[in-house]
Order: sequence, then structure tokens, then C-alpha cells
Amino acid sequence: MQTRPVTPRRPPAPFPERGADGTPPGGSISDAAAGRPAPRGPRDSVLPGQRPLPTSEDPRTESGGRIPPPPPPPPSGPANRFAPRNWRVRTRLVVLVIVPLVATIVGATARRRQGREPVQPRANLGHAANLLWMVEGKEPDPDKVRLVDTYLVLLADHGLNASTFAARVVASTGSDLTSCVVGAIAALKGPAHGGATLAARTMLDKIGSADNAEKWLTEAHARHERFSGFGHRVYRTYDPRAKILRELAKTASPELYETAARTEEVALRILHEAHPDRPNATNVDFWASVVLTGAGIPKELFTTLFATSRVAGWTAHVLESLSDLRLIRPASRWVGPEPGKKPMQLAKR
Amino acid sequence: MSSTYVPGLEGVVASQTAISMVDGQNGRLVYQGYVIADLAEQLSFEEVAFLLWEGRLPSRAELDALSLELAGHRSLTQAANIALDALPKDTDPMDVLRSVVSVQGVEHRLARPTVPMAIHATASFPTILALFQRRQLGLEPVKPRPELGHAANYLWMMNGKEASPETVHALNTYLVLLADHGMNASTFAARVIASTESDLTSALVGAIGALKGPAHGGAPSAVIEQLEQIGTAENAENWMRAARQRKQKFMGFGHRVYRVYDPRAKILKEMCRRMNPTFYELATKVEEVALSILHEEHPERPQSTNVEFYSAGVLQAIGLPKEYFTPTFATARVAGWSAHVLEQAANNRIIRPQSEYIGPEPRRPVPLSERA
Repeated sequence: MQTRPVTPRRPPAPFPERGADGTPPGGSISDAAAGRPAPRGPRDSVLPGQRPLPTSEDPRTESGGRIPPPPPPPPSGPANRFAPRNWRVRTRLVVLVIVPLVATIVGATARRRQGREPVQPRANLGHAANLLWMVEGKEPDPDKVRLVDTYLVLLADHGLNASTFAARVVASTGSDLTSCVVGAIAALKGPAHGGATLAARTMLDKIGSADNAEKWLTEAHARHERFSGFGHRVYRTYDPRAKILRELAKTASPELYETAARTEEVALRILHEAHPDRPNATNVDFWASVVLTGAGIPKELFTTLFATSRVAGWTAHVLESLSDLRLIRPASRWVGPEPGKKPMQLAKR
Repeated sequence: MSSTYVPGLEGVVASQTAISMVDGQNGRLVYQGYVIADLAEQLSFEEVAFLLWEGRLPSRAELDALSLELAGHRSLTQAANIALDALPKDTDPMDVLRSVVSVQGVEHRLARPTVPMAIHATASFPTILALFQRRQLGLEPVKPRPELGHAANYLWMMNGKEASPETVHALNTYLVLLADHGMNASTFAARVIASTESDLTSALVGAIGALKGPAHGGAPSAVIEQLEQIGTAENAENWMRAARQRKQKFMGFGHRVYRVYDPRAKILKEMCRRMNPTFYELATKVEEVALSILHEEHPERPQSTNVEFYSAGVLQAIGLPKEYFTPTFATARVAGWSAHVLEQAANNRIIRPQSEYIGPEPRRPVPLSERA
């Protein structure tokens, strides 16, 4: 995308001093953070059911002290109900709940997959370090923290991709932030979007070794199989994120790097031969799969890591859209039958 | 490639579809070639859902098979029951639907959307809402009854008693009328999600989130609230002029596409007259005043009553609590959403629009220690 001469940016929508229900001011993020407890702990009811789910009305009363201090009301808590104006007031606060919450859910999911108890988030760790802590349950290795942190930064936003666009379509109806983020997660899940990192790793696993790349890719191409981790709607050159991740991948996971580098070389050659007209470049998912492997993230969690990063961008886009909320309702072209035929009675069909 | 920014994508063709067409100029809504007025009070919701999914009306045998399949999938999974019970009682029923539909569908993982999945999802909506409403009221859950049709069973599970044939007919008509409506925001959200090759449940969950917004499906309860504030037909003129002074919006008016009276509103208005005379008396007066004020303000705009205005009166007459108006909208629209997801998946290309960057020129980050 080319940069245009910059027109002054519209100032963000003003946030009222206090919500109708007496919620604290929602001005800046630092204001919002100052008056609240560490917001990482999810409500019990959102922790994947590592034990019978509470049945009492307020699930927080059953936390049994294992989950840290009662967190603030969650994004879709009562204060948000039927309150189209109110949810805007709370949005900045809600961002501070929902962003760390995604990491906590990922951590708890990882532990549960291993048949272990979730560990508590730690307030003295940064976001990436805490994520690793909650996934592994041991003091995070600084090198791995650096890998995860870089990954989180690189994937945090990326223009109007499908999940971000889904979030903005949901936001455009005046819905709440949780609904926007849930819609975005739903879109990110697709293999043509966020699921591509796992697909790339799965392909690398099938290839197995650098020596096997030529044979495997040639055969896959003959079967008209799509190479995972190549091609992008927007980039016409090497994805700048892929470049950085490729460099990190060398030391993050040397063995997988070797397979991946050879795979990239062969894949690009095959793709170029098949479509000399197309700019076929390696995409971010390809190298992200190697870096996340090096960081010790189980591959089934790759897409959730993507969400952990991108939730920052999604929420930023929703906040941005609030300053000029307009329903996104495109048109469609009718390709169905000529209107006006009369329905035949059931008995005669 | 077009590079013009069109706010709200108004008039931008985002898809080709054979499911439904909104003919705004002539006030026609068309499902697969049939005009809504020919379907609305004649066909069951099940027949219309089949039409949306399969592109043709079912034979008797096909309709029986569909009814059986729907009836056989009205129960929730264990995980969905647990999720439903874990939600606080004062949760917005739209959030209940969004969350429990999500849990109900986890077993499908990334499966390619199919008609049976669409049937199963459609079958689960009334159950989720009825179970939650009864829990809110502290009542025992009511088991679904396989011999009842979709609309009748919804009311049965909600109320624990059989509804009158007129009430069932009214709900059925409402479900048929609201089952699809071109490329509206929630349907478009579902298609964007499906375009990444994500699963049907994910697309439905995103659509529910979009429908929840007051600019889309979240308004019918607001119509009732506004009418309650107005109170009487005599008070309408004064109240509404005063409301306009305060820049307050009239609920239930205006639509992006229709340039004439919404054909669904027409049918619902007539149903209101029969079923809910109190509402009808006040609502018609409010409509008259609202349209005249809106016309004075914007003579150039085609201001007309939208589907939500008289929906409110019909749903009230059916006996649904107003918090369940939008979820009942979702119960109808799930048929359309899933039809669109199937259509998108059949001929897919990722929906990834462009954006116009209006931020700062590329610049270098200042190290943390040097920042003010």
C-alpha cells in the first residue's frame, strides 16, 4: 500500500467523564489501568472447565482462592446490557480486560491439554513472559520470551485483513467490543487466514527434512496441492514480517529452519515456474511457524497465539471506528431466479 | 481495482447471491425467486429454510425429513448445557445465544459447512433461549416435543404450555419474514468469516454479535420502550416534537435499502391490527407523526417505517418478553445466515478489502527512555 500525503487525523471520540451507571472515567489507557486490579485473571466461567463449572449465580464466589483477586466485570457483564451508549464509555476499559484475557485463556488451554492445572498469571512478568509462564508453568527462558514478544509485535495489526474487517462490520452495528472480538476470532480461525501458521508447520512436518523438500513439493504440486505459507493478497515483495521472523528462526529452531529454508527455495522456484506472472512470496505464517516452534509453543496453539497478538489490533480498529460509526451494509448482485414465480402448493410438489 | 472509499460500503457490490434480493425501488423482498408476500402467511418456516438452503421448495417427503432432523437436534450438548448454566442470570439473551451457540458447535472444529450442520444449528436456537429464559424465571426446563413444528415448539419450551394456533401462526409468519434479507451487516459478517474457510459455528457466532447492535437487530425492544414513553396517541405529537428538539432518534424508521414501504412491515402491520389492537392504535399514530416530522426535516429522503417497528407489536402479542425480541430475530435469521455461509463456501474467495491509510507518515520509534 502506498503512503498518501497525510490529511490530519480525526481526533478520537470524546469519552464522557463517567458512565451512566457510575463507571469510572474511560479516558486514556493509563487512566483506565490506574484504578483497576491486575486484569489478567479471567472469571471462572471462562476458564476452560478444568473442574465442574460453578452453578451459583456469581461464579466468582466459588473461585476457592486458586484464581487471583476478583477481576473487574468482564466485557459482556451486566453493565453492558442493552446499553448501546454505555458500552462505548466502557470500551477503553474493556480493551484492558480483553487483551490480557486472551493470553490467559491460551495459557489455561495449553495446561489443560497437558492434563495439568492452569497456573496463575504473574503481575511481575511482561505480557510475553507471562504468556509463556502460563503455558509452561515454569520460569520463562529470556530467549523464548524475546521470540514470543517479537512475534506478538509483528502480528499485532495488519490493515483491513478479514478478521479485522469482521470486527469492524460487527462494530458498525453498534454492538459491543466482546462481540467484535469474538467475530474476529471466528474469522481468524479459518485456514485461509490465521490457521495458515499451523498449516505451514503441518506441511513442514510432512516434508520432514531438507533433503526431502524437492521430492515432496514436486509431488504435492503435481497433485495440485496448495503450498502453505506462500502468497498474499497484498504484498508484492517479501513480507517485511517474514523477513524478521526468518532471521529469528535461524537460532530459534535450527533444525526446522534448515528444512524450512530449503522448502522455501524449492517452493518459490516451483511457483515461479508455474506462474511467472505472479509475485509469489513467502508469507508471515511460514516463518512464524518456525519461530513459534522454537519458542516451545505447541502447534495446536499457533492460531490462538495469533489471536493473542492481533487482539491489540482488533480492539484498536474498533476504537477507531467509534469516531465515525456507520453501518457497514454492502450491496449484492442477484444471480438467482427471476423474481415473481408463485410457490406451488405442498401437496402438488 | 477500485480505490475509492465508500463509507459503510453503501452500494458496493460485495457478493453475488441467489438466496435473497432486496428490491428497494419496488419494495420487494425475494427469496430464491419467490416474492415474500407469496410466502409469508402460506408456508412454514421449515419450508422456507429448506428453500434458502436448497434453492427450491421441499416435497412432502423432504419436508418431513427436514422436520424430523430439526426435531432430533433440539437438545444441547453437555458442554453447551454447562455453559448455559454458568452464565449469570442477568446476561443479555443475545450474549447467551452468542456464547452457547459457540460451545454447542465446538465438535465441528473446522469442518466444511453442510446443510445438516445448518439444520442442527437452527434447531438449537429456540432451545437455548427457552432454557435460559426459564432459568431466569426460576422455572424447570421444558423438554422439546418432536411432534411440534419449529415455531410451536419454541413457544412450548418457553411457556411450558401449548400456544394457540393463531399465536403459532403469527410466530411462524414472523420467522418466515425475517429469515433472510440480502447482504445485511450480520449476514455480511457471516460471509466474511466463512471466507477464511472457518466453520459454520464461527460464522453464526460472528453474525449474532453483529445482529446484537442497535443499528441492526438490537432495536425492536427500543421501539416498545419508546412507545411506552409516549404512552398515548394524544400525546404522540407533543412528545415526538419535543424528542426531536433533543435530537432523539425515532425507533423503527429508515432503512439503507428500501425506498418505499418495507413489504415485511406491511404484513406485520396488518398482523398487529388483528392481534395487538392497543399497540396498533398507538403505533399507527406514532408512525403517522414520525413520518410527517421526518418528511418535514428531510423531504428528499424516503423515510419509511422499517420491519422492527411492527415486529415489536407482533412479538409482544405472541407473548415474548422484549429482551427476547432480538434473539427471536436471530432464530429466524439463522436460516439465512447459514444459507449464505453455504453459498460462500461453495464458491469462495477471501473477503479482504483495502483501506485508506490516514495515519502519520512512516516514522522511527523514539526509545522509551527519551519519551516524554
